[in-house]
Amino acid sequence: METVRLKPASRKAIIGLLPYVLLSVLLMVADRHSDSVRQATHAVAVVGIPVHFLATLPTRTLRWMEGSLESPQELKQQYAVLQEKHLILQTRLQRYELLEVENARLRRLLSAIPTASEQVLLARLIDVDLDPRAQDILIDKGSADGVFDGQPVVDGGGIVGQVTAAGLFRSAVRPVTDLAQAVPVQVLRNGLRAVVYGGGRGQLLRVLYLDRNADIRVGDLLASSGLGGRYPVGYPVAQVKTVERNLSESFMTVRAKPASQLGSEREVALLWLTDGRPSNAGIPAEVGNDAGD
Amino acid sequence: MPVISVDTGRRRGWVLPATLFVAFVLHALPVNDPLQGFVPDWVSLVLIYWSLALPGRMSVGTAWAVGLLLDLVSFGLLGSYALTKAVLVYFSRRAALQVRTYPLWQQAVVVLVLLAVEMLLLVVIEFAVEQSLHGLERWTAAVVGALLWPITYLLLRRCRLWAQLS
Repeated sequence: METVRLKPASRKAIIGLLPYVLLSVLLMVADRHSDSVRQATHAVAVVGIPVHFLATLPTRTLRWMEGSLESPQELKQQYAVLQEKHLILQTRLQRYELLEVENARLRRLLSAIPTASEQVLLARLIDVDLDPRAQDILIDKGSADGVFDGQPVVDGGGIVGQVTAAGLFRSAVRPVTDLAQAVPVQVLRNGLRAVVYGGGRGQLLRVLYLDRNADIRVGDLLASSGLGGRYPVGYPVAQVKTVERNLSESFMTVRAKPASQLGSEREVALLWLTDGRPSNAGIPAEVGNDAGD
Repeated sequence: MPVISVDTGRRRGWVLPATLFVAFVLHALPVNDPLQGFVPDWVSLVLIYWSLALPGRMSVGTAWAVGLLLDLVSFGLLGSYALTKAVLVYFSRRAALQVRTYPLWQQAVVVLVLLAVEMLLLVVIEFAVEQSLHGLERWTAAVVGALLWPITYLLLRRCRLWAQLS
């Protein structure tokens, strides 16, 4: 009987635990230091699909009910608003395209490096909390679609974060609000460079290492500066909310609100940068090549 | 908790993995931001229950495999949950004989200790990997887990008796 065997076996039992501890540590080291192990484990992560599917059911039924409760009139109204917005954006885009062509021509004249062009793939958010300890978001595109680790992700507002685990059909995205994430930025108004760090779930972002008399104000827009090579240049990251100058400290305390509407948008865009620079290896030139960096 | 069950009919062995599957789904359930810190580790609670009730069926190896699966499903660091779940079940199996005779609130205290040990282990792993100690904020989840223990216990006990596992 199991119960009789359990009690005196204390020493034997702890020896029984050891191989599992060692195996776990080995796995952790392998996961951290070997790309092939990472890729293999992320491919195996497809076992999570039924779990994630069931976990999204409550929110989906809720949303479905909301959708079916909306009256046709409301829908018509929404449609009208969206169409108006679409028209405005389209006219703006026409001007933008013109500017882009002109910019490329001017750059050629100056024989400057061409600006990076981008390829975009839309991905849908899957409404699950991957782990209560992290704020990672799950999206419905994976390495089968060419997604790679470290890929920048944006939405209608700005930079969302980067892909931290590209599974076969699903990927985990770590948002910029994560405490361990940092994005090099530039103040749009004057080009001042800074680094934005995550502040944790539901908290404002922290703008660190700004000199006490640096020129930054509440309301300033912070866009990615492209330094570090992970995020493309010029995408909105945050807007400055508070600026505190403390005379006894050499740095300012600046807090900023993330530009992306994390959670409220149902879709994000994955970016592939095709840079004009020849030395920039590691970034795939086409969709379907999923080499990491 | 004297179980006087007469073996009638078939055992339903699939109930144990099924409860774990439900725990996995609960683990992934989306929660609003302010409540995030209070989400207990459902998988741990279910593992603790089975290792207390049926130490013969819930071995350390099984717990390790469950933890590994959780690592995969949650896209976490491979091996981290595997390690903590194995340690968790090891300790709860060690204590099973005594704890089974405790009243529910006392069991809840033991569960709190077990969950706290797991949380500390996760913090150690996090510190070794990312040099951060943010996992310490998860202590609220351990407290909530302990508070939810009586309900979990009664629910899972019903499942176990229905499945005629003993």
